[in-house]
Amino acid sequence: MGERTRQVLPSVLSVLLALAVCWLIIAFTRDADTATRAYLQMLWGGVGNWPALLDGGSSTTVLRPLGEAAMKAAILTLTGLSVAVAFKVGLFNIGAQGQMIWGALAAALVGAHVALPGLLHVPLALLAAAVAGAAWASIAGVLKLKRGVHEVISTIMLNWVAVSLVDNWLVIGPLRAVAEGHQSSITGTAEILSTAQLPRLLGDSSRLNLGFPLALVAALGVWVWLTRTRAGYETRAVGLTPEAARAAGIPTLARAGGAMALAGALAGLAGAVLVLGTEGRYPGSLGAPYGFDGIAIALIGNNHPLGAAVSAAVFGILRAGGTRMQLLGVHKSFPELIQGFALLFVAGRMVWLAVLRRRREQPTGEQPTGEQPAAEVPAAEVPRA
Amino acid sequence: MLEVLHSLLFSTLDAAPALVFAALGAMLSERAGVVSVGVEGMMRTGAFCAAVAALAMPTPTAVLVGMAAGAGIAAVHGYLSIRWRSDQVVSGMALNLVAMAGGTFLLESLYGPNGTPAITQLPRWDLPGLSAVPLLGALSGHAAPTYLALTLPFVFHLLLTRTPLGLRLRAVGDKPHAVATLGLSVSRLRWGAVLGGGLMAGLGGAVLSTAVLDRFEQHTPAGLGFMALAAMVFGRWTPLGAFAAALFFAFGNALRIGLASSAPWLLDLVPQGFLLALPYLLTLLVLALQGQRGHAPAALGTPYEQESR
Amino acid sequence: MSLEDASLDILPGELLAVVGENGAGKSSLMNVLYGLYQPDAGTFLMDGKPVRLKSPRDAIARGIGMVHQHFMLVPTLTVAENVVLGREPTRRGLLDLNRACAEVAATAKRFGFQLDPRARVDTLTVGSQQKVEIVKALHRGAQVLILDEPTAVLTPQESDELAQVMRGLVAQGRTVVLISHKLKEVLGVADRVAVMRRGRTVAVVRAAETSVSALASLMVGEGSRGAALTGVPATSAPGVHDSQGEHAGTVTAGPIVLEAKDLRAKGDNGRPALQGVSLTVHAGEIVGIAGVDGNGQRELAEVLTGLRALEGGGGTLLGGPLAGLTPTLAKARGVGHVPEDRLARAVVKAMTVEENVALGRHRQPPFARGPWVDFKGRRERATQLLATYDVRPPDPTVALQALSGGNQQKVVVARELDAEPKLLVVVQPTRGLDIGAVAQVHARLREAKARGAGVVMVSLDLEEVLALSDRVYVLYEGRVTGHFPRKDLDERELGRRMLGAESDHG
Repeated sequence: MGERTRQVLPSVLSVLLALAVCWLIIAFTRDADTATRAYLQMLWGGVGNWPALLDGGSSTTVLRPLGEAAMKAAILTLTGLSVAVAFKVGLFNIGAQGQMIWGALAAALVGAHVALPGLLHVPLALLAAAVAGAAWASIAGVLKLKRGVHEVISTIMLNWVAVSLVDNWLVIGPLRAVAEGHQSSITGTAEILSTAQLPRLLGDSSRLNLGFPLALVAALGVWVWLTRTRAGYETRAVGLTPEAARAAGIPTLARAGGAMALAGALAGLAGAVLVLGTEGRYPGSLGAPYGFDGIAIALIGNNHPLGAAVSAAVFGILRAGGTRMQLLGVHKSFPELIQGFALLFVAGRMVWLAVLRRRREQPTGEQPTGEQPAAEVPAAEVPRA
Repeated sequence: MLEVLHSLLFSTLDAAPALVFAALGAMLSERAGVVSVGVEGMMRTGAFCAAVAALAMPTPTAVLVGMAAGAGIAAVHGYLSIRWRSDQVVSGMALNLVAMAGGTFLLESLYGPNGTPAITQLPRWDLPGLSAVPLLGALSGHAAPTYLALTLPFVFHLLLTRTPLGLRLRAVGDKPHAVATLGLSVSRLRWGAVLGGGLMAGLGGAVLSTAVLDRFEQHTPAGLGFMALAAMVFGRWTPLGAFAAALFFAFGNALRIGLASSAPWLLDLVPQGFLLALPYLLTLLVLALQGQRGHAPAALGTPYEQESR
Repeated sequence: MSLEDASLDILPGELLAVVGENGAGKSSLMNVLYGLYQPDAGTFLMDGKPVRLKSPRDAIARGIGMVHQHFMLVPTLTVAENVVLGREPTRRGLLDLNRACAEVAATAKRFGFQLDPRARVDTLTVGSQQKVEIVKALHRGAQVLILDEPTAVLTPQESDELAQVMRGLVAQGRTVVLISHKLKEVLGVADRVAVMRRGRTVAVVRAAETSVSALASLMVGEGSRGAALTGVPATSAPGVHDSQGEHAGTVTAGPIVLEAKDLRAKGDNGRPALQGVSLTVHAGEIVGIAGVDGNGQRELAEVLTGLRALEGGGGTLLGGPLAGLTPTLAKARGVGHVPEDRLARAVVKAMTVEENVALGRHRQPPFARGPWVDFKGRRERATQLLATYDVRPPDPTVALQALSGGNQQKVVVARELDAEPKLLVVVQPTRGLDIGAVAQVHARLREAKARGAGVVMVSLDLEEVLALSDRVYVLYEGRVTGHFPRKDLDERELGRRMLGAESDHG
């Protein structure tokens, strides 16, 4: 089994197992037929109803679901990258949610209150979101590096601070949209200007917008940064063996702080994509906990930027399809359950690897094990919390 | 004025138990060295199972079911993090996600979006002598969990500081290898603490749906598990500290809700959001001030491996 | 960790020493005796009956106690709590701390230890902590006490005291098993000495009927020359005296590369580790730093490489001030470093070999081009270094952790020497390596010297120090207690200084 297979296989198996377990859950609470039909709905809802298209249906039957899937995948990719980047430097960023909240708010404010031509407006709103997310993440970074406060605790706290301050104060108070006529019932901030909207790529037939390519570029960029640049190399070294990195003259604090800020910026961008791409304003609350999803996406993607993009695509499809499951009375959050189980199985990666190894070693039991220090199971590439 | 204070105290005592139990549970697990970010998921599972069970059996028994359910989730956490030495934060967050989505799915497919049908709440007890006394009267008229929450922290304190088991738990969270060389089983101690923590978190959840409310609602426990973590950290990983912090946070909540109805003008000066953020901000502040690893157990989050020192 | 076919008889009421090189299996054998490891095969007889020790609990129940090299104490608990842990006295179900304190005080007194049972362990000195460990075992009724490298962390006074404690225990009829690689110390205290080599017990001799050199040759095997005082690997097979000729001509002092004056620094535990160390190093010489473990050698190396901040003193290093040195600055001035703890300090084991070759020079050609990693340049240089230094497998793309310890060390040495350092600081460069790798590393250090580098070599292995050094400084408790040019090198005198003996000259 090659090195790459060994890295990818547990994730793939975990997702498949999660799909199977969740199928069983529907089958038990309802019946097997419903479960299968719900899964088909989820698939058609995610990748488009190809049979219908081939039967002469309009292209919308495929383009619309794909657009929805891409939209969700874009946000999941960005929060997944956020978590993965922090992991690379040895930090566990539970705080993508809070960083995303501030990013979304910043994008909403710049989008609504700054008048600029479209060519500049979108980049500025994105930049504002990235800066806001980075700033919020940096609080945890500074607490960790200067005061030794564990980032898991501090980012959890910062999430709730962000939710409290933004959702329970700013958005319902000072930043609430000014009521105009009969629109007084709207919640959230003022609507963004049209110049700040992420352009739709397929016109009206799909909500696919610039967010998806943006997320892919971000994933590619992070990958290039980590593997091809000196700074990325240093960041990885700091994450894997901080003392050796320090001895090699790498500025460890700067690298750790930088990675944490980048993680925040990516989460902030996720907020911007949500606001500029679909919501059009900062809504009453962000709805789905995309930030927490990022943890699942990153780990299922084996903390690899491209792996995160792939796992985000898979779960983007499932989650876009989730809305169609409602037709069969299955709650639309069902794909989140699949995602949760997949993460649980990835957490049990050691179990997988042990099972696989046993299977592999049984036929050739006499293999000398002493000669293979490499066969030692790489501890799930997660910093110890 | 006295009346206001009375009602504040009363609602604090009514709301605090869930937080107290969950904080104690998290503390138990973490003192033995196992990270407990999954406490939110354990609470949710406990709350759901207790509510469903209460439809079919007496509510006090249903609370026990809720506790067992919390322990069930904790068992998965223990299996992954003790038996397989998985990352404890990952395992905990995964269980949170599963409990979150799973709870929603089961609720919707079994009962619909408005929560489970109403159940019989745990009975409230009037303490005849007390109800007449000003302020102290706030102690009367609560359900059993409140009185349990007022005593259990002291029991835990006694357990940790004055019993052999407590000594061993503290030792296993600070230096598991020392415990192992004395012929004690590290994993058995940790299993005990994790399962005990699950029971407590499950109890916290069960209390939410059987005493605070009369059903399981879709968003239960709405972040209370994380607030319990904050209380534990704020209370420096000690039973009495966590207890005091949980009471303090519950009081803050009661104050906020009370202000919203009785003195909304005050909330214009100090927005609700600030009050909501306060427990977390205070916890961050305490962490920032005491620095380093604070009072966290030294081996917290480190899986025990026999052949490493 | 490896044991094959190790046999050992322990007689009641004796003080048995088990000696051997690092990795000879001493600690593994003792961990088997204590039930921590399970043997794959073999039997264990106690009082003539076979026993199986499944866990330390079984060992304790049979009266075996062990004092580990790394203390197994819970730092946040008190002395009494640590001692009674696992067999706590209770009263009505509650911990009876008063009784615990009284019991512990009584045990301590019976064996002549001064210990405050209510003191928190993390406030105690290392010597006192060790006493807590011993009391812990005795308190559990240990008849057989195993001490794993007990003096490695002790001052000489504390070591003497420990020797008396051990003799005292034997006098009371208990059995003591002492694991050590300090032969001289062992001969002073033991009744019998068991020698281990490569996982086997190769000899058991009476202490009165043997000598340091006899034991040393048993330790390293037939045909090898005996190791000296510390007796770790007999390294360059030709031996000390044969290589002297080669050295004689090369001691041509070059310009000064390091001049350190009155260095002071704290150790990890916050106590002073360097208390006024002064030394000079010239280009083209190897300066050995000898001493018993824990006398400031590690901290000295860290100060010279910018990893540890100075508390006082200073000097010049390669034309710049020594004060305020950082790892980056040290690298820029031309300091190379082969640290003691390779996996923590020198390599990123999860990265590939070529990525490790680049570590530290990853910002400059051929490893980088501008802000980018230069994959081609890195591959070429790594491949070439692996060939030159005979690293196996010579594949730059495998993860470093797939290599054996010796090959990992070769990668580190290759990397540091390839940077052509002007000052090379090496600490325990051959610890745990097999004899072939040791010889190669030594040859490389000589090459660096020949090329004109100043080399500071810290080693606990006196043999190694004697074999390679042009000059030797002896460190004892953070001070220089001896300074010998090569011609005055004398094992006996070095040993005296390592144990703290001062002298009028030198």
